[in-house]
Amino acid sequence: MKLLATGWGKAARLALLIGTLLALYILAQARHDERAHIREQAVKLTPGCADKLARYGLAAGASYTSPYALAHSGQASIKRGYSTEDVRAIQRGCNIIDDLQGQLAADPARERWNSTRFVRGTHTSCDHCHQGIGDKQTAAGAPQAGSLSLAASWVMADMYDQFTGILLPYELRQMQCYINSSNGYKPNVADDLIRDVTAYSRFLAAALDLRFGNHYAEQGIDEVTASSTLKRGDDYVRGAARYKEKCAHCHGPQGLGTVVDGKMQYPAVAGPNAFNQQSRNNFSFVSTILPGFLCRNMPLGEEGSLSKQDCRDIAFYVSNMPRPAGDKDGPLAALWQQLMMRVMPPLIQAVDTWQGHDAPRDTGT
Amino acid sequence: MDSAPDAALAAGNERRRAARRARLAIVLRGALAAAIIIGFALWAHLGSGRPVFSPHGKPEAGWEAFRQAYDVDTFGRDGYFVRAIQNGYNLVHHTHQYAWRFTRKRGSDHPNACINCHSAESLAYAFAGGDRFDARLGRRISFEEHVQRCYATHLDGFVPTIYDPAVRDIRIFARMVAHHLQLGEGATEGAP
Repeated sequence: MKLLATGWGKAARLALLIGTLLALYILAQARHDERAHIREQAVKLTPGCADKLARYGLAAGASYTSPYALAHSGQASIKRGYSTEDVRAIQRGCNIIDDLQGQLAADPARERWNSTRFVRGTHTSCDHCHQGIGDKQTAAGAPQAGSLSLAASWVMADMYDQFTGILLPYELRQMQCYINSSNGYKPNVADDLIRDVTAYSRFLAAALDLRFGNHYAEQGIDEVTASSTLKRGDDYVRGAARYKEKCAHCHGPQGLGTVVDGKMQYPAVAGPNAFNQQSRNNFSFVSTILPGFLCRNMPLGEEGSLSKQDCRDIAFYVSNMPRPAGDKDGPLAALWQQLMMRVMPPLIQAVDTWQGHDAPRDTGT
Repeated sequence: MDSAPDAALAAGNERRRAARRARLAIVLRGALAAAIIIGFALWAHLGSGRPVFSPHGKPEAGWEAFRQAYDVDTFGRDGYFVRAIQNGYNLVHHTHQYAWRFTRKRGSDHPNACINCHSAESLAYAFAGGDRFDARLGRRISFEEHVQRCYATHLDGFVPTIYDPAVRDIRIFARMVAHHLQLGEGATEGAP
């Protein structure tokens, strides 16, 4: 009798194990089918992507000729064409760059491949750094120098990267953006989120007729080094003053961004929604990139109005605001940063109020 | 009457000797293991001559000519990228030697290397036109996945991971040739 009971117990445990594995398999199949179904659906483009992809003449066909290259070089460079599936991948990639959080999407999770799973906070979007949907152009329609162009980055991918110490493929570079600039988690290298952005970047390279292994001025940021200034030293106090004057109106007095009706209007540059300490944007980690970005792109509508020293001072100030620890900083640093992010904003706000400064603005959370 | 204490003393001595022998065996085994590891490391770095233990690629026949013909020095005389190109060259031309884990082909087989089917130029064009929808497979296939499929099918072997140098360095090799040919994204052979 006891033997029989033991036998039934073993059989029940085995059935439970097999049942669990079967359920997981069925779930994985369902998710796989759902993804395949999404890939086959027409893509609703953001207004920016609709405009950009129309200008670059993206359409399915046996060959592709870039209207941009034709207009700029006078020569029709005939490229391999795109299938309808390729076109949809490029469109989805453009949407991801333009609107990572899915604020413009009817169904953000499906239309952006659950991108928010890989991002902490509600502010970050690729387009904040890679402006112009990864392809910023001058008023004359030429690629903007030092604008973090995705196309120029693709043709120069696979080179040695001093920060990671490896030959960095384009897909792994995207993962780093998710980990540090978005303070989140890395998607799988084969995730549609990564692959669609690669497809879009490759299309941009075709549209702009860039050549493999060539360096283009629009690649990366035109960095502002200390040696390009009068070498007065980077000044936190001067940076704070310039920040209040030039940046606080949009990004908030404490850099927490501006949120209106639950939608991010201007992204956080500090606090839990901002890039982390190991992002290359962080002045304390790389002291030339954020100043370069500021000089090139900020303030909106007055681009180019800041001096190089201003950019370095503001970057110094911004990077000293509390922000999440980087993925390699360790748990104690992470704990400390979490504490700072929670304690400092109300404290500073209280001091500002006490001193009779500006009333607190609507800031992001 | 005296035999019992003598026997106990002898047994105690024997136990101590056994304990000493056991301790010695442990120390000797540890020392032997350490010597083997150190010896292997010294052999691997200094005496093996095997490329897998060296950051420098083995200069195979034809590499120097290739290096000059394709202006590899554009990327410098040495460096991570150039070494990856050289490893890519070795992989493409001597696949059965440099990717032996991923192919069952041997020296006597034909084909036994990528170059038996693909020229350097065709690899560059494949790279430039990669990441497109494959109607036969019903999904988009990257250049890396094509390489993986080649290992599994044409080279009758096994699939490396996408991060493996056996895949990565072929991509970098193709990228360098694409640079030499000044190909753009989506370039096709024969097109202007």
